[in-house]
Amino acid sequence: MFGSMRMIMIGVMVAGLAGAGAYVMKLRSDNATLKANQIKLESAVTEQKELIENQQKDFKKILDANNKMNELVNVLKKDLDELDKRFNKKNRDVGKLAIQRTESIERITNKGSANATRCIEIASGSPLTEEEKNATRKSEINSECPSIANPNYVPYNN
Amino acid sequence: MYHIIISIFIFLLLTGCSGVKELQIFKQEVEREKLNLNKPTPLELENLKWIIITSNNAEEVFKKLEESGIDPVLWGLTDKDFELLAKNFARIRNQLKITNDLLDKYKEYYESDLNKENE
Repeated sequence: MFGSMRMIMIGVMVAGLAGAGAYVMKLRSDNATLKANQIKLESAVTEQKELIENQQKDFKKILDANNKMNELVNVLKKDLDELDKRFNKKNRDVGKLAIQRTESIERITNKGSANATRCIEIASGSPLTEEEKNATRKSEINSECPSIANPNYVPYNN
Repeated sequence: MYHIIISIFIFLLLTGCSGVKELQIFKQEVEREKLNLNKPTPLELENLKWIIITSNNAEEVFKKLEESGIDPVLWGLTDKDFELLAKNFARIRNQLKITNDLLDKYKEYYESDLNKENE
């Protein structure tokens, strides 16, 4: 009776020791997994930070693009207003002027037409010539569309 | 005593079943192919010549045309219609410029990486 009791106790102790050993091994394995998880989480956090930075850069780009487009719409509108002024400034009547000074109005019309043609080429993506880029005086610019044809021209009077 | 030992044994056995699971982070980023179409070739337009005809110079203008071997026929516009034509062209030009710049902005935004790669 006492012998079998001792056997059982020894058995339980051996099983307990083996269980404890297995438990320690498992803890070590869990620890390794946790470390790996930690590394993955840190990497995920870094990626998220990069993502947020990129998003902020994108927002800035979108804002810049919107501002530039608004600026362009405004300067083109100004060109259109200038064209209107050219026809109607101080109650100007182009028809009467053409009767009085036919040749000079014909010359002006043809020059304006050539300028307007060049404006359409530029608007369609044609690169600016050096002459157009460097034009700063009123006599040098394309008066039909200075905002797109002459980037260095600053209007100095009306 | 037995109960305590058996309880500890069962406890160890059960806690041994639970464990820390390995974290899985799923990443599936498949980028769309870039469109990257070439921009249309800029226009190259022909210059045209305007002739102003008034009641005073009409005969002279037609005579000059005939002398130059050009058919003595002209398509006419009144001064008001000429003004409208000029403004219409200016509007078309503005729209063309806006559309073209818009296209540039889109390309710059969506395909800037690709442009860098191509460079």
